[in-house]
Amino acid sequence: MRLKLRNLRKNKNFKYLVALFTILILLGIPSYLWTKSNVTTLAGRYNSPMSPVIMIPGSSATANRFDDLVKTVNRQYGEHHSLLKMTVHPNDKITYTGSIRPNDTRPFIVVGFENNKDGYANIKKQAAWFNIAFNKLKDRYRFNNFNAFGHSNGGLIWTYFLEHYFDDSTITMNQMLTVGTPYNFEEKSTSNRTQMLNDLVRDRDKIPEALTYYSIAGTQLYTDDGIVPIGSVDAGKYVYEGHIKHYTLITLTGTKAQHSDMIDNNQFIDIFHQYIVGNGINGPIQNAPNKKVPKGQ
Amino acid sequence: MKVQFNSKLEENLVRGTLKIQKLLIYRVIQKTLLLIFPFALFGSFVKIIQTVVIGKEGFLTDILPPFGNDAIFRLIDNVTNGLYNLSLGWVSVIAIFGAAKYTAKYYHRDDQLAGITGISTLLIMDYTYSKTQPISFHAQILGMRGLLFAIISGMVIGWVFKIFSRSAPNLEKNQLSNSILERTFISLRPIIITFILAIIFSTLINVTYYSEAPGNFINALSTETTPSNDWAQLGKTLIFSIYTLIMSFFGWSGTYSALGVEKMDALSTINLNYALQKHTAWNAPNPFTSATLYHAFATYGGTGAILGLIIAILIISKDKDFQTVARWAMIPSLFNISSGVMTGIPILFNVIFLIPFILAPLANMLMAALAIALHLMPPSVYPVPIGTPGPLTAFIATNGSWQALVFSVLAIILSVYIYLPFVKMAAKVKLLDNLGIEEGES
Repeated sequence: MRLKLRNLRKNKNFKYLVALFTILILLGIPSYLWTKSNVTTLAGRYNSPMSPVIMIPGSSATANRFDDLVKTVNRQYGEHHSLLKMTVHPNDKITYTGSIRPNDTRPFIVVGFENNKDGYANIKKQAAWFNIAFNKLKDRYRFNNFNAFGHSNGGLIWTYFLEHYFDDSTITMNQMLTVGTPYNFEEKSTSNRTQMLNDLVRDRDKIPEALTYYSIAGTQLYTDDGIVPIGSVDAGKYVYEGHIKHYTLITLTGTKAQHSDMIDNNQFIDIFHQYIVGNGINGPIQNAPNKKVPKGQ
Repeated sequence: MKVQFNSKLEENLVRGTLKIQKLLIYRVIQKTLLLIFPFALFGSFVKIIQTVVIGKEGFLTDILPPFGNDAIFRLIDNVTNGLYNLSLGWVSVIAIFGAAKYTAKYYHRDDQLAGITGISTLLIMDYTYSKTQPISFHAQILGMRGLLFAIISGMVIGWVFKIFSRSAPNLEKNQLSNSILERTFISLRPIIITFILAIIFSTLINVTYYSEAPGNFINALSTETTPSNDWAQLGKTLIFSIYTLIMSFFGWSGTYSALGVEKMDALSTINLNYALQKHTAWNAPNPFTSATLYHAFATYGGTGAILGLIIAILIISKDKDFQTVARWAMIPSLFNISSGVMTGIPILFNVIFLIPFILAPLANMLMAALAIALHLMPPSVYPVPIGTPGPLTAFIATNGSWQALVFSVLAIILSVYIYLPFVKMAAKVKLLDNLGIEEGES
């Protein structure tokens, strides 16, 4: 061995070896400092490349509600998003179907509920169940940002969840899109505010301010989408407008503008893909904020 | 010139390798790999900038102070994307050109046209019928991943040229243009047949899907299965590591990526949660995961502990080519980007290096497993930025444990020792091979 070392010094590659180890040491020092500071601020957050689209179906729909939507998006845009479906049962147990493909940075996750009935009391329950599912997802996949989609009451569950359960210091919600979400239930006029709308407006401060929200309302004959009045969807402005970064209301008309048909509508799929799935070119993945410090003070 | 062998085993190995190297398929592969080497090497430097310096979660992005100017950042991002996609990102296109050309040349057919036909064929097979982009291809197949596919396709094209055309007249200097035209028409038939075959193939078979399918299946297995006890865990990690290594040997990527961009599996997540709660990495519940063994100890310099090979070459090799490649590939290898060495030495499809390519990472992992089991060092549980130099991975992932750093240094020494005899053997193979060529054997 000793002989070898002496030879080594005469070796003309010796300087390359020395350079190699010098670079390693030079890189080692800042990375040591980085890891020390990173671990202290990490606080449960993991740098994952994944940014899922989490979807909540409306009342009386199951976790299978968006199967066709996902299929259409994959086919139409030549993408390969995987789909995980979770159903939360009244006893807080969760059943899973489908799976997230490894290396899929934009998977779809649908959270449905066994008790999928309508009504304010039930929406509160569903938001609590959703929170259980959301925490499971957070622990399992460790993503730090995501996009949200809600159909009908799904949007109400999102809103209630944001106001009562969501903690944005470790995870960022980039964009939200809802379709036909009745913020004022079946009321046409916002002068008649339901209990729920009042509650949602009262607690709106808890909604993360960095959120960008697109709300789609469908209309047939100017007034409603067959089930939800446009005034009720529009009432979402009292919750979001002026508080979050962007609030946009989109009105969808023509064929397939009916409440339940809208998610098959081509215009809707374009909007959905543009704002929620993104195409990776100007998608939200790049400008996802890299939060390390909780902002609450 | 006589070549001395140290043992019977070595002699058998060298002679066996020589026999394989004499095969046409191997000759074609070898030449093709040399053809793509400069592009792979250049691409690997660009990739350093792309993933390590400015990439999200990149090693230098994280440890250096942030970059203020957004416009410059975007400019660098665009430039590196372009350079990368058309160097390392499309080596398969170059490979199919080479494979078709060399095969056709072997059969004395029009090699130039065969090569160009190869390029079009691969692009036809890889064409995406997209509604959003006028012309687009599946990117994975064009890169290293499609290498084996491209080389085989290229050889098939060369063979089609052999069957369907007669040998090309020698095109010397100062020849009239009508002989060029004649040459073209000789090759027209195989060109058309190749294109038709390619379009049938691409219509019937969804290439990207099938190239991804086995990987996806294995990946799902590796992330979803959670072995109950430590030994099953160790077994699982070793099996998937061997799978990754063998796949990488053929230019594919396996379950575990050397750049560490894959999703954490459930076990690693449990480890991280434990460590964040208890504020220590010691006694983490899952000691033998891919993160604690494979990523922290087996990927120094990229898949297959290539850094060991580079150091071994710099220490003992007298071969000029090996040394040049080793020096050039040293910097990308520091950040676990090994495409330079893989194509330059080459290691891809090289029988003699298959053994240490699997053995060195395995030995490192077993050493790490032993050290963790004996509580000599904590398991690597914390997240590590992409492209962290191999020997620093364990150090960072244990939140700066000195024990882990010591074992990392031991791992480098171990892999160098495993590669040393094979570097000597490779030199002998090369010498005998060159002698054979000089004597006019092949």
